[in-house]
Amino acid sequence: MLKFIVRRVAWTIPVLLLVILMTFLMMRLIKGNPFQVTERPVPPAIQANLERQFHLDQPWYMQYVYYVKGVFTANLGPSLQQRDRDVNDIIKEHFPVSLKLGGLAMLFAIVVGIPLGIIAALKQNTPIDYFVMAIVNAGYALPNFLIATLLIYFFAVKWGAHTPFPTNGWAGWESWILPMIALGHAPMTVLARIVRGSMLETLQADYIRTAKAKGLRWRRVVGLHVLRNSLIPAVTAAGPLLGYLIAGSFIVETIFGIPGIGRYFIISVASRDYSVTMGITVLLSIIIIVANLVVDILYGFLDPRTRDVRT
Amino acid sequence: MAVTNRRADFEATLTRTAEARGREAGAALERASLWRDAVHRFSRNRAAVVAAFAFLAMLVFVIFVPIFSNEDPYAVDFSQSFLSPSLAHPFGTDEFGRDLFVRTALGGRISIGIGFAATFAIMIVGILYGSISGFAGGWVDNGLMRFLDALYGLPYLPFAIITLAIFGTTNFYTMVVALTVASWFTTARVMRGQIITLKENDYVRAANALGARWYRILFRHLLPNTLGVILIFVFLELPGVVLGEAFLSFLGMGVEPPKASWGTLAQDGYTSYLAHPYIIVIPSLCISWLILSAFFIADGLRDALDPRTRQNF
Amino acid sequence: MALLEVNDLHTFFKTRAGEVRAVDGISFEVEAGTMLGIVGESGCGKSVTMLSLMGLVMPPGRVVEGSAMFQGRDLLKLSQKQLEDVRGHEIGMIFQDPMTSLNPTLTIGTQLTETLRRHLDMNRKEARKRAVELLEEVHIPNAERRLDDYPHRYSGGMRQRVMIAIAISCNPKLLIADEPTTALDVTVQAGVLDLLHELRSLHDMSVIIITHDMGVVAETANDIIVMYAGQVVEHAPALDLFDNPEHPYTEALLAALPQVEGEGMREGRLLSIPGRPPDLIAPPPACRFAPRCMYAGHDNCATVPPDLREIRPGHWVRSVHPASERAAEPVGAP
Repeated sequence: MLKFIVRRVAWTIPVLLLVILMTFLMMRLIKGNPFQVTERPVPPAIQANLERQFHLDQPWYMQYVYYVKGVFTANLGPSLQQRDRDVNDIIKEHFPVSLKLGGLAMLFAIVVGIPLGIIAALKQNTPIDYFVMAIVNAGYALPNFLIATLLIYFFAVKWGAHTPFPTNGWAGWESWILPMIALGHAPMTVLARIVRGSMLETLQADYIRTAKAKGLRWRRVVGLHVLRNSLIPAVTAAGPLLGYLIAGSFIVETIFGIPGIGRYFIISVASRDYSVTMGITVLLSIIIIVANLVVDILYGFLDPRTRDVRT
Repeated sequence: MAVTNRRADFEATLTRTAEARGREAGAALERASLWRDAVHRFSRNRAAVVAAFAFLAMLVFVIFVPIFSNEDPYAVDFSQSFLSPSLAHPFGTDEFGRDLFVRTALGGRISIGIGFAATFAIMIVGILYGSISGFAGGWVDNGLMRFLDALYGLPYLPFAIITLAIFGTTNFYTMVVALTVASWFTTARVMRGQIITLKENDYVRAANALGARWYRILFRHLLPNTLGVILIFVFLELPGVVLGEAFLSFLGMGVEPPKASWGTLAQDGYTSYLAHPYIIVIPSLCISWLILSAFFIADGLRDALDPRTRQNF
Repeated sequence: MALLEVNDLHTFFKTRAGEVRAVDGISFEVEAGTMLGIVGESGCGKSVTMLSLMGLVMPPGRVVEGSAMFQGRDLLKLSQKQLEDVRGHEIGMIFQDPMTSLNPTLTIGTQLTETLRRHLDMNRKEARKRAVELLEEVHIPNAERRLDDYPHRYSGGMRQRVMIAIAISCNPKLLIADEPTTALDVTVQAGVLDLLHELRSLHDMSVIIITHDMGVVAETANDIIVMYAGQVVEHAPALDLFDNPEHPYTEALLAALPQVEGEGMREGRLLSIPGRPPDLIAPPPACRFAPRCMYAGHDNCATVPPDLREIRPGHWVRSVHPASERAAEPVGAP
């Protein structure tokens, strides 16, 4: 097991390097990127800073190496557009917000999605099942910008000034509710579907028949035997869910005016602040890679069979 | 022993009985083809059939409405702006007074067009990559798959956005490229899996043992089976791609005006949705329509082509 | 008073094509301490019969009629909660495929002790101790250590032994073994069967063993039931069945056994019974075996459903032409 973990962790380094390389190469193709010496609409003070930071006199592969070094020392260079501000500063300021929003949305997805999936599976083919799955499927199909705007429309416009969930401003826990729902509803539907499918499959399994034949109470059969085997596949969905959350955050943050890095990414692209663009992309990549790593290891713990098969 | 005697008796009448039975049995079997069977199974799935009709209805809408409509989708007439849905303008008008019924249909052409084009491109790239990897096996396969694993680390939306930024402008083709570049990984992996399973399949080995050449194996044996999976995947990827395009458009990176896709229409609506929600609701619902119908069609196809992999959505 | 008395059991499955009469009037008895073998080809309803007794028939199947008296109570009339008390405690059951019958994410120990703690109210320590004893009883080496292993660490034969251990853990009066050896290698089969035999006498347990392999019941069963198309077609003590089979189907089954050596040895094709089992949605109105029977004639075989009758003391058969009543020559093919 330990061997598995070590190997898996070691594997993330080359992956990370490769990802940074690809981002680096792609960024270099954009006009006005921080790695080119020519045609940059940048004030000279920043220009000097950039040359120092990104070693613009060196060939591209050296620039890449320095950039990687920068990543590992948590130094992502200066902002192209904002004087006196580093990419780091910007990230430090905005990332925690996104983290909180993403965490809440994930929580929402888990707390609502998994029970819905379980209920639907246990009451398969009854009106409850159809009802739950209708909601879930509808939720999946509605784009989150629609959900977000509809939520705002109802709570801000229709409800008026005394709305329980404010949609602008950033005070208090109430203002997190609507964005959380808007961002989390798509992952929620995915989880519900996966859990339902997984449970239905498990319920047909031979070992559930055995459990019943042993005279175990149905509560235990479902609560232990069925759930444990059904929820494990749901863990593997965490990777794609993270993808949904990241993509969704760009939209939801923009609509609700939440100062997170998703929204800032868009701003940086629009204002050609490409070092920030690059920095945020690298950060998101790191998050994805680390998350996948955690999921893989977690899966190893949860499913005893994988512990012995692979090293 | 008693059993042996009975066996002798039994044997004696066996041939007579068997011949008689055989004549009866032979008559019934009819040769059904794989596809006819599949179509039959598909049509038994009510949700899938309804979805197929819905999908077709959508296609009819986007193809024919602009042809038959009298409204000019590009004419600006401020006296007509922001009209709510009515008989004259079933979807209302936007801030420039343009009829949204026609614009939505046109937008659909672009959204669906981008969707199919990107899905097609993803299939090609994915199949190529997956086939090379699957067929080659060994360290080539290993290396290609590791590379693919690494690519999963790239966040989808930033990747697509950066690609668009490289192009500098967004039109039909750049959007297709951006979406393809960001989404081909899963298909490649699945295709490789398919190729490998089929490669190891017994009937391929049998064909090989009979001396068939590789292209014969590929076209006669592998491809027809993979075709089913490919078809299913098209309808699974399509919603993702269309949604991706919608996201990008909503964030302001969609196709340049006055052309519009459903995503850019939604973005248009976003600026004024507080007062006129229908402008954003309608294109969004069109996207939902496509996503839902594609999903149920994919489900039905999955059932139809391989009932063994039946899942309950 | 027999341990188990099943009377006129009917279990049907509602499908889109019609109602499948999977079990259509089964009656039998099991005396305490004996082993009953139920033989028949796939689809004849033997497994469904057992599942019906235990209340484990899944929709769209349901028990339509009949009774199953076990220790003074009708199993078919018990509520789910009452059945949960009976299962695993009074009646144990083991299934065909040991590879999939154990939960892969729980240790063998957990799967053993949970039954013990459920029915016998043991605490953790007691249950664990008993679990070790049980594993030793079914000849699993290193029992103490293997208790904490997961099922994938066990071979097929060992898993089946574990299943047996679980099934007998609460000292049931009756053990139902549904094709316990079908999924195992021949060499492992013998071990499992011996084990069942050994446990039966040790615990004074009745056993119902279901199989499609005559050889499995030949040595160990006291009585044998032959099932066909949802009905009992012959019921006799084992020796009598093998020496003097009455029903044409039984004869055909015995004749189909390959003889590799000895006086019955033959070369050439293996014998099989031509035709296929009947459609259970609309079974033949009279004798169900008639379409495949070489003794079937244009008499009652096609018009009157034969009843199960006692042709000799203890030997029941459902046929218009049982062996001892037949003329010297077979009547001929239809």
